[in-house]
Amino acid sequence: MMILTNLRRRPSRTAFTAAGIAVGVATIVALLSFTQGLSNTAAELTHLGGSDLGVFQANVSDPTTSLLPASLVARLQRKPYVQDATPLLLMVEAVRPQPGAVVFGAQPSGFFARRLVIVDGRRELGAGDILLGDRLAAHMHLAPGGTLTVHGRPFRVAGIYHTGIFFEDSGAVMALASARRLTGRPAEETNIVVNLSAATSAAEATKSIEREFPGTQVISTPQQALRAGANSTLISKAILVIVVIALIVGAIGVTITMALSFIERQSELGLLSTVGWSSGRIAALILGEGIAVSLLGAAFGLLLGVVGGDLLVRVLGVGSYVTPSFTAWALGRGLLVGVAIGVLGGIYPAWRVTRMKPLKALSGT
Amino acid sequence: MSDPAGAAVVVEGVSKRFGRVPALTDVSLAVGSREAIVISGRSGSGKSTLLALIGGLEQPDAGRVLIDGEPIWTRRHPAHVRRDVVGFVFQRHLLLDPLTAQANVEVPLLGAGLRPAERRRRARSLLEQVGLADRAEHLPSQLSGGERQRVAVARAIANEPRLLLADEPTGALDSVTSERVLDLLFDLRDRLGTTLIVVSYDLAIGPRADRTITLIDGQIVEEGA
Ligand SMILES: Nc1ncnc2c1ncn2[C@@H]1O[C@H](COP(=O)(O)OP(=O)(O)O)[C@@H](O)[C@H]1O
Ligand SMILES: [Mg+2]
Repeated sequence: MMILTNLRRRPSRTAFTAAGIAVGVATIVALLSFTQGLSNTAAELTHLGGSDLGVFQANVSDPTTSLLPASLVARLQRKPYVQDATPLLLMVEAVRPQPGAVVFGAQPSGFFARRLVIVDGRRELGAGDILLGDRLAAHMHLAPGGTLTVHGRPFRVAGIYHTGIFFEDSGAVMALASARRLTGRPAEETNIVVNLSAATSAAEATKSIEREFPGTQVISTPQQALRAGANSTLISKAILVIVVIALIVGAIGVTITMALSFIERQSELGLLSTVGWSSGRIAALILGEGIAVSLLGAAFGLLLGVVGGDLLVRVLGVGSYVTPSFTAWALGRGLLVGVAIGVLGGIYPAWRVTRMKPLKALSGT
Repeated sequence: MSDPAGAAVVVEGVSKRFGRVPALTDVSLAVGSREAIVISGRSGSGKSTLLALIGGLEQPDAGRVLIDGEPIWTRRHPAHVRRDVVGFVFQRHLLLDPLTAQANVEVPLLGAGLRPAERRRRARSLLEQVGLADRAEHLPSQLSGGERQRVAVARAIANEPRLLLADEPTGALDSVTSERVLDLLFDLRDRLGTTLIVVSYDLAIGPRADRTITLIDGQIVEEGA
């Protein structure tokens, strides 16, 4: 009863403390959701076209700059553990108004192109044709028969496809030969996507391929994808650092605010002691208030983090690179952190109360 | 509350210092059950310290304080003396300002673990006893100084203490209001049979008490009838 009354009757103090916690929690939720979004993105990159793994050139800073000899596809296909392999050429920043859209150069007969589900128009990949992902088509208001300019060359939109993979649906697919002409790399693929035979695990295949084809790097997990590009490694490290800093700053700030607000109330707590409250009971009151405030703050923080994160992505127009992903776990962690802050902020004053001299507390202020 | 009667207090050779400042030196005093005494003396003479020692808020450096023949600090739970035996009234009313008068009176009852309905009933009746039944839902900020002090008195007697300690209870009040609060305290002593110890530098209250004790520099210099 006293916990709620105390909070309700001191609205500005409650609001300030809760707001502090909210900002901390919002930051944490937003950052966590971006890291989660980033590894989801990476996960999709590793399974392009529904493949089991991707083969890249070793030690490139970014998978899209990988170059592998064309002959590698045939050699891979001969391996017993490979069911199918097809070359893929990735072009980024090729579509002027949608810099995030990836244009894939794929062999019309390969499993990557065959797997596309055409939802509008026809599956045609002639020299001047292009297929659009449904997200890209919607963004650019394009329908079959329209024209998409890639690297300054016009391509006729033959059809619209949907795969369910974010990167593919917000990109476009053209014939590998056309892509080679556009980029001026006649004999090289950027990478090769591979489907394994049913009996082979990705880990086994990774080892075999990297051993048998020196100079290649296999990516089959999101972690590997993040590690493969120095850029993305940098990003995930930077985000980790930012999350930790936000956590520390938020926690310290709020803990101090809460501790101060209780120290201010020494004489009140001293009074509870003189009317016979045990120190355990007083400590429970303090902790209870701390947790109640931080729950309030955390709830607002979750909302702020979700809405704010989404808004930020939209304002910055980076939706095709990072999409915040709000998993229950990210939200749960935010909430946990909020409550932890409340407990932390309450522990010090609660501990002080247990060793407080009532008279001294009363004569204070 | 005729039985159990007011608590008997014995102070035996008690000394207390704060750092290097001796607040009390070898003070001895006996207060009988249902007795009402006044402790007077100049500011800084050790009155509040003596009261705090009697009520178990502070522990003496030397000597001991016995309530009904039992030393406070050798009990299993010395802090229970505050809950079960003693009621305090201070110069500052020390009401919790987010709580209504009624809720303030309920605070010690919360500490004693009473059921909510019983708690409310008791608090209501206590406010009636101090003449504030109609102010139950007011916040301290909506009460006058005298009314606040009367709420504080109601809170002090909430746990049916057998020893009522008041440290300059009228120090912050004008003389008319002071009279009213003192009337209340001595009336409670008469009705409930509690032992009453009032600290005051105001000698005008002397005639109400059974006895007046004067402290100078932490020592008892005079006991008047
Ligand atoms: N908590 C304390 N810390 C340090 N000194 C104190 C404390 N309480 C009282 N004193 C000192 O002890 C002496 C007696 O104080 P007190 O009992 O409050 O006197 P009174 O109530 O008669 O004014 C004073 O010199 C005072 O400064
Ligand atoms: Mg004093």
